[in-house]
This record gives sequence, C-alpha cells and structure tokens, in this order.
Amino acid sequence: MSDQVSADIFEILLSHAENKPESMDAGTVLSEAGIDSLALVEIIFDLEEKFDITIPNPDEIEGMDTAFETAGDVVKAVKTLLDEKG
Amino acid sequence: MNRVVITGLGVVSALGRNVAEFRDGLLAGRCAIGPITQFDTSDHQVRIGAEVPDYVPEEHFDKNQLAQIDRFAQFALLATREAVSDAGLSFEGELAERTAVVHGTGIGGQSTQDENYHKLYAEGGKRVHPFTIPKLMPNAGCSQITMEFGIKGPAFTTATACSSSGHAIGLAMMLLRQGMADVAVTGGAEACLTHGTMRGWEALRVASKDTCSPFSNKRGGMVVGEGAATLILETLEHAQARGAKIYAELLGFGMSADAGNIVQPSMDGAVRAIRNCLKDAGLATSDVQYINAHGTGTPQNDPTETAAIRTVFAELADGLAVSSTKSMHGHVLGGAAAVEAVATVLALNAQIAPPTANFTEPDPKCDLDYVPNTPRPMAIKNAISNSFAFGGLNTVLAFGRAP
Repeated sequence: MSDQVSADIFEILLSHAENKPESMDAGTVLSEAGIDSLALVEIIFDLEEKFDITIPNPDEIEGMDTAFETAGDVVKAVKTLLDEKG
Repeated sequence: MNRVVITGLGVVSALGRNVAEFRDGLLAGRCAIGPITQFDTSDHQVRIGAEVPDYVPEEHFDKNQLAQIDRFAQFALLATREAVSDAGLSFEGELAERTAVVHGTGIGGQSTQDENYHKLYAEGGKRVHPFTIPKLMPNAGCSQITMEFGIKGPAFTTATACSSSGHAIGLAMMLLRQGMADVAVTGGAEACLTHGTMRGWEALRVASKDTCSPFSNKRGGMVVGEGAATLILETLEHAQARGAKIYAELLGFGMSADAGNIVQPSMDGAVRAIRNCLKDAGLATSDVQYINAHGTGTPQNDPTETAAIRTVFAELADGLAVSSTKSMHGHVLGGAAAVEAVATVLALNAQIAPPTANFTEPDPKCDLDYVPNTPRPMAIKNAISNSFAFGGLNTVLAFGRAP
C-alpha cells in the first residue's frame, strides 16, 4: 500500500501515536503504536476532514466486520468509503 | 466548626499572568484594558476587553492537552499550578482524598463552542472536533484540576454568572468548616472574549466602548475580561500542623437571591448578601475597613451597590474604602469573584487599598470613597468582596488578617 491515500492515513495515524513506530504499514497494530480509543476518535475526525467522508462504526462499513485493530483496517475502511462516495 | 485560612494564591489575568505581576499592577492602579485581539472586531461596536497578554498556550500545554482543554480550563490549570506550588502542597496518599476542588465558571468552554459551531453554521461544515463536548462543558476546569493534581475528594463546579467563583469559594469554605475536607482548591475561570459572546454583550448594551470607570459620572459600562484565580483553603489546624504560610483568614460567606429581575440588580438582594456575610463572619459593621466592590461600571450596578453599602453600614459608610478593581482587570465574569478575592487578600497583606482606576468625576448617585485612581496605604483588619450576578444570585466573602 504505497499509494497516496495510504500514505496520508499513515501520516495521520503517526501524528496521534504515543509510541511512534519506526514506520507504519498495513500490519501495524494500533494499540501497539499507542493509539487508544480516545486517540482513534481524533483520528477519525482528522480522516473525515482530510477525505471529506463520514466514517460510521466499522461494522457498518461494507466488508468490515471488526473494530479498527490495524492500520490496514483503517485504510480499508477509508478506501471503501471513498469508493462509495465515487 | 473549623476555621479556614488561605495558604496559596494563583492568578492569570490581563493585569498579570501570575500573582507577582498582578500584585504590582493592582497596587499601582494600572488599567489593563485594551483592544481585543482574539478575533476581528472591525465590525463590532465594542472592541475592548481585558485579555491575558502574550498568552501562548503551547508554552504551557502539549498538543494532546490542547486538543482537550479549552482556554478557560487552561487558565484554571495555570492559576492552580501557581497556587498549589505557592502553598507547597502535593496531593499524595490520604490528602488526595481529603482535598476538595470547587470551581466556578459562568459559561465554560465558550471559544470551543464559538469555533466549532462557526464551522457548522458559517463554513458549511458537517462535523465538529470530537472533544467539543468535553472541552466546552462548564465542569471541565474542575475536572482538569482534579486530573492534573490527582485530587480525589469532593469536586464540583458552580455556575452562577458573575457570582460563580464566589459561590465556589464560599462552598469550599463550608466543606472545610464542616470537616468534609482538610484542603480545598477553589476559585474560578472564564475566557469568553469571542465573536458570539461579545455580540451578546453588545446587544445587552451594558458594555463600554472606551474603558471601565466604575462609580464615575458618564461611565460607559462594563468591560469583559478573561482569566482565572485559584485560592488554596485549609483548615487552620491543617495549615498550622504543616507550618504553612498563611495569607489571610476566610471569615465568612453570605448569599442571597434578588428574586427580582434577570438582569436588573436589586438593592435589597445586595443588602441581604452583605448582612448574611457579616453575620456568618461574626463581624460588626465597624470591623470592616475595605470593600472590594462588584463595581461593574454599569449605570445599573454602581448606584444600587452604593445604596446597599449605605444601607448596611449607615453612618460608617463614609469611613470605608470602597474600590472596584474591575477598572483594572476587567470583569472576569465567572472568575471575577476569585480574581477579586485574590486582590482583596493582596490588599490585606500589603495594607494598601487598591484604587478604582479611570475615575474621572463623581456621579451624584455614587457618593462613597472609591479610592479614586491612587492606591492608599491604610490599616485593613477586615475586608469584604461583593459579587452580584445576572440572575440576581449574590455572594459576599469576608477576609481577615492571618491568625
């Protein structure tokens, strides 16, 4: 996932990570990067502003069945929502 | 009933960003009112306020804190950091649970409301920042204090407009008297120099366009200020046991409701609050030398307050020094009673009555000694501080020299 959308998402995730990892990829576990539920609320806000989308709870997003556990989950959700937005 | 003393002071105000600066300004009679810089006032009729000067939030809080803490709660924390450090306290072990936080604010996170709702209403935005609610809630100041200092005893917020922190300090004193806590962190904060709020003051037509000149003829009204003040209260026993420095004794507290008009003050309500305070403090009218007046500088307050003081103190009223320090630090609204409590304690300690700044010529309806323009060295054994709020909810606090 070296595309721009992923890069932007990783940058937002990193800005809220308490334990900043060396690098972030789809496999990065959010909790291990020091992103707690409160930080995730801010991240979702930043993503909504960045991509002009509304992010519902993960289980309401097509193809998502879990909470955001990894950076890849977030990328998948945002891309799905961007596709829906068209 | 425990006696209650003041062992720590902290303040953030236009007149000074800490107690030392504030004291210097207060006892020099310096007016800290100036142009509002926090938003574009070019199409406002009222363009002045009493802003905390050169305030850079990033110097005091990290990025994560700033996302969660409104300007009013930032001021609450800064004033409390100074007061706690001044008192030399740390809240560990049992003391954490034996310490109360009682904090006043009139509105709470007003800049958070203004900024976020502006995004919705004016910019066509679809969402607000996720911490909008925890930032704007009026109890945020109180909660942030408990969190930063690990204080775990009774904690709550009082919101009674311009008496908010008067009620906070009075109720904190009552907790200590009653033995429900040994230490109380109390005071108040306000930061509502925002586009929306200032439109509200403008519409009410009580805000001055030039400066604040309480009790003077042709005064233009009140000037909105911002800031915070925190006082550390302790039972006398607790303070003496740890050898704490004592600034003053908090002698008494009086409250009343006008039960009249939502904005028009009543002399009767003010009289009852002052009398209730003197009775609670065990003071005779002849025991008081200095009054820190509510003194907003409006046509409504100043003659009413003057008449109330005359009614309570009768022939002794002419011998009182009565000043409005709002002429220097503006009207800090929910934080006003706390800022003025600090001013009164500093006056007691310095044995100097701070002046009413910007005094020009007397108003025939205001005929007390308002300590015009020049600070006055004098013997002050006991002092009271008045706060008469919109909504007719009044508080008066009485202070005496350290035991």
